[in-house]
Amino acid sequence: MQITININGIDKTITCQPHESLMRVLRREGYFSVRYGSETGETGAGAILLDGRLVASDVLLAAQAAGHRIETVEGLSEGVKLHPIQEAFMRTGAIQSGYATPAMVLAAKALLAMNPNPTEAEVRDAISGILDRETGYAKPVQAVFEAAAILRGEEPTRIEPKVMTPITLPLGGDEGWGESDWGGRSDPTPEFPGGGGGDVLTLRKALPKFVVAPEAQQLQVVGKSEIKVDALKLAKGNPAFVDDFEMRGMLHAKLLTSPHAHARILDIDDSAARALPGVHAVIHYKNIERVRYASGGQSYPNPKPWDQVSFDNKVRHVGDRVAAVAAETPEIAAEAIKRIAVTYEVLPAVFDENEAITGHAPVIHDEPDMADAYDAQRNISHFIHAAVGDVETGFAQADRIFEHTYRVHQVQQVPIEPHICIGYWDADERLVLRSSTQVPFHARRMVAPLLGLPVKRIRVIKPRIGGGFGAKQEMLIEDIVGHLVIASGKPVKLELNREEEFISSRTRHPQTITYKTGVNRDGRLVAMKMRVIGNTGAYATHGLTVQTVTGMRGLSTYNCPNKEFECWVAYTNIPVPGAYRGYGAPQALFALESHMEEIAAALGRDAVEFKRQNWVKVGDPLDIAPQLGEGEAEVGAAPTVLTSGLSECIAQGMQAIDWQRRYDPDWIAPPDRLHIRRGIGMAVCMHGSAIPGLDMGAASIKINDDGSFNLLVGATDLGTGSDTVLSQIAAEVLGVPLEDIVIYSSDTDFTPFDTGAYASSTTYISGTAVKKAAEELRQQIKQRAGLMLGLSDWADVVLRDRQAQAPDGRAVTLAAIALHSLHQDHQRQLMATASYVSPDSPPPFAGQFAEIEMDIQTGQVTVKKLAMAVDCGVAINPITASGQVEGGMTQALGYAHCEEMVYDESGRMLNAQIGPYKIYRADEMPELDVTLVQTLEPTGPFGAKAVAEIPKDGVAPAIASAIYNASGLRLRQIPFTPERVWRALHEMR
Amino acid sequence: MKPPSFKYHAPRSVEEAAGLLAEHGYDAKLLAGGQSLIPTMNFRLAQPAVLIDLNRIPELAYIHPAGDGGVRIGAMSRHVQVEKSDLIAQAAPLIHETMPLIAHPQIRNRGTFGGSIAHADPASELPAALLTLGGRVQARGAKGARWIEADEFFLGLFTTALQPDELLAEVRFPALPARAGFAAREVARRHGDYALVGVMALVGLDAGGACNLARLTYFSVGDGPTPAPQAAAALIGQRPTSEALAAAAELAASADIPEPVADIHATAAFRRHLIKALGKQALQQAFIRAGGAA
Repeated sequence: MQITININGIDKTITCQPHESLMRVLRREGYFSVRYGSETGETGAGAILLDGRLVASDVLLAAQAAGHRIETVEGLSEGVKLHPIQEAFMRTGAIQSGYATPAMVLAAKALLAMNPNPTEAEVRDAISGILDRETGYAKPVQAVFEAAAILRGEEPTRIEPKVMTPITLPLGGDEGWGESDWGGRSDPTPEFPGGGGGDVLTLRKALPKFVVAPEAQQLQVVGKSEIKVDALKLAKGNPAFVDDFEMRGMLHAKLLTSPHAHARILDIDDSAARALPGVHAVIHYKNIERVRYASGGQSYPNPKPWDQVSFDNKVRHVGDRVAAVAAETPEIAAEAIKRIAVTYEVLPAVFDENEAITGHAPVIHDEPDMADAYDAQRNISHFIHAAVGDVETGFAQADRIFEHTYRVHQVQQVPIEPHICIGYWDADERLVLRSSTQVPFHARRMVAPLLGLPVKRIRVIKPRIGGGFGAKQEMLIEDIVGHLVIASGKPVKLELNREEEFISSRTRHPQTITYKTGVNRDGRLVAMKMRVIGNTGAYATHGLTVQTVTGMRGLSTYNCPNKEFECWVAYTNIPVPGAYRGYGAPQALFALESHMEEIAAALGRDAVEFKRQNWVKVGDPLDIAPQLGEGEAEVGAAPTVLTSGLSECIAQGMQAIDWQRRYDPDWIAPPDRLHIRRGIGMAVCMHGSAIPGLDMGAASIKINDDGSFNLLVGATDLGTGSDTVLSQIAAEVLGVPLEDIVIYSSDTDFTPFDTGAYASSTTYISGTAVKKAAEELRQQIKQRAGLMLGLSDWADVVLRDRQAQAPDGRAVTLAAIALHSLHQDHQRQLMATASYVSPDSPPPFAGQFAEIEMDIQTGQVTVKKLAMAVDCGVAINPITASGQVEGGMTQALGYAHCEEMVYDESGRMLNAQIGPYKIYRADEMPELDVTLVQTLEPTGPFGAKAVAEIPKDGVAPAIASAIYNASGLRLRQIPFTPERVWRALHEMR
Repeated sequence: MKPPSFKYHAPRSVEEAAGLLAEHGYDAKLLAGGQSLIPTMNFRLAQPAVLIDLNRIPELAYIHPAGDGGVRIGAMSRHVQVEKSDLIAQAAPLIHETMPLIAHPQIRNRGTFGGSIAHADPASELPAALLTLGGRVQARGAKGARWIEADEFFLGLFTTALQPDELLAEVRFPALPARAGFAAREVARRHGDYALVGVMALVGLDAGGACNLARLTYFSVGDGPTPAPQAAAALIGQRPTSEALAAAAELAASADIPEPVADIHATAAFRRHLIKALGKQALQQAFIRAGGAA
């Protein structure tokens, strides 16, 4: 049929089918800002304006839009001039991955057109249909307020970072910030004035001792809330994501996944599918070579067991791969899938990690070529053991012994952009994979043997991606796309639909965690044993390392002379757990922090003081770390904590949450609201910065004719802002503004290697690589300046303000230096490459706080406020750092409170859609409060530590602590659903 | 996944739509706001041969006062229009308070009042409100129009008394009596989310302060909006004491809805408990609003 739609002010006549959605037609017409999120319109990424009102274009037929007026973000900016809403989103840090930014901008536009001066509730309602897994909505709300003020012709109230007075005394603080630590470094001027943005940013007026880089006092770019380097294209909705790439003749791939949790495939008959016109390839176990691998995106050699093949004659969970097709349209592909006849022999299944390892459960990996599992017959992929001292001796010496068991459940990362990959043969007949991945270099190396291609014939490109959170630290679908390109000879696109994203990608590991702890009469820990059964589902992709991190994090926060970690990693028939932001730590810290509070309560001690007595302080060794490292690397001696702002974090967090209320009975049980109880809780968090001795990042940097620089990094920006942070580091070293750094990242042909975006490594590891490369280039530039100025000694030349300045006052511009070196004299390309791998993983520390209200009649818990004070070292970009904290806390809130993968007894997930899975929306959020407590980490670039994962760690135990404060109820299982809370209250009475 | 192909009609009048329905009957699906139908078509759970789009029938979108002081809502009125209507705020305040609870702007901008009633989703608020307020709906087809009372309209899971050749044209709410009070309460995993159990209450008091009107309707507990007639009957003639309300709510759980549904969000036992707890809270608030503090 032919329809005419007015799109962004222009009447367009379009040919479409009656069944086609408006989204599909708009994208076909080149409006790439309208993006897929699900089949139901529930993510909001596909929202557009229809006659000025926000509607979901994915649940609207194109035919219905005929004769109507449509607006997309493409119509908002005029040439280079952005709409004030777009500018506000850029300036406030409201854009992380930017995948759903166009929809949010349109929602704001519709609101402000009708209501120029909205309340916060109205703003939150207006954007409540657009899910954001990244920002926690704090900055988008701020962006709408700023834009509203500008559109009203007012000067917007920009929320500037607020400098807080340190609360803990600089002298004699228990962090080991003793006199010598602080000596002579109480500079009253804030080093990091920051830009607009974070609600509250604490900028310490004095830095702890340790060696301060000479340039730390004159920082121009680092420490500033610079606008993200990719913000412009994301605000405009430019085609920047995998799906925004079109090729003539591209085929659409579709997966056939298992309806059974555990079954043998006796036969596959694909003849009816192949006979369908428009089908170009059908692949499955009978026509794809059996090559074993492990899909986790990790360094070489990937941890054993390698328990996967591209297609097996067995399925091990509902959603497991059975076959894939490539066809000319999505409809033909879907029809072809239906025509594949599969004969299954259904086998008994096991889902619970404790049942799986009894020896009486069905054997999940019984294939003859299975190797390297700890005990495949008992479904144990790994047994992990680590010990310091001797716990039994410790228990014998202890005055009191406590033992508690906790259970953490399965959740999914839910990136709004699902996994998607486009593959094609390029002109040189090399396979190009344009993939939404966190690990382009690992993916290239890992996919090569599966496809039978050498690494040199594969190029992996990561464009902008719409969130990853660990789900994309995998070589998940690249092999399928590669096989289909090889089989069909044509370009192929595979995008998981929302249900597949839930059940056929990756999730968080459920665990059963038991702590047994011995305590002395004076409150010191003397022995701590942690026993974990981890559930790695059908495959062990990250099974070893997530559980290792659980042990590492679960036994590192508190000093104790005798520690032991015992862990069994169980195969089961649930969809596969893998990497998810936090990576084993949120599980461990829910158990650890709850356990510590239970001990404190039993001892009659204040929980915070009991924790403070035992938590690690500056100078303390992280003694179990050497045994719980990752990969093959030998870490050697126990690392030592060099910086910790933990005491200050706790003090700031208590102030932010108004901690004293928790001791007031009238506040806890308000006399006028009989069924309401209120509470405040806290948790201590400690994380790592990268995997020591293993994570490696590299950077190349070269000068251009105009004195600008190309920065090439393998590091992978998921929307986190790492491209921006790395550019800021380069700009700082080279004395140029951020705009002079042109960054290109994550392309295996053009950028140096990087392990990828995971383990809180990018700022710390890749940032140091960038700094080293920039410093080396700086030497070359200084030398060239010396040559041009006739200096005998160029060591004291300084790069500043796009110039090389000699001590005698003369200067040459970087542009002149570039032209001189490229064209005029002793020509050479000034460029440098550096890599970095760290022996250290300095821990960021934090205090996380929650205020809740609970209805003791219904069991409903409402989280009113989350506060986090975090020591992430120096924040290279305070606005992106605080955005990481807000977004991380919000995901953690879902984990603690409402998100849950629910199954029927046959292992079929019952809520594999956005709606019933329950992700926090903008209008349901508690208040978020972020404080950055900055320490100067001597091993990090410009003093930085990691920040991306630690916000995930403490929300669940802080809420558990608040529930305990409110009601005396101790919940040892998450999430805190109304029914779970009600049942526990019932049992307690 | 995209919906399979079908024949698409966009009639311009109710008469034209009724003619198409008469012609295609069981093969046809009516497309109102599409917020439920199009997702099910995207999943291929619904595969109609003919789709009749009601969005181009202007005569179905209106909000008018009814002669009796009540209100008439054209089936294709968008949620947002009902939400913002002054007439609704004044004549049907329970509806006015319910509208902001419905999802988020994309759905409220596109979803229709009649569509939500006709879809008869057991978790949705509007069918329960229709029952509680004692409203009725007008069905129209090629053979003419007929009125269906709310308590005869909802027949089961996503099932109503509408015939395959009928469309829902209007929803009508009567005026609230004097000294009436209403309330809605729900519990969700998170504040603002779909209800695990929800309840709506409408009560009235006579001059002596005794209850002369009581309706209690639950949602998310069964196959559709679920009234609690025995609980309501027990209140008639009573003064709204705390004990009387507790007894009524107890009756709702034990006699009216002894076997609420169990699903992934809540067990039957928990729902039974919530029927009691929320029923009492809703009645309490309704009686306070009616002027007889409980």
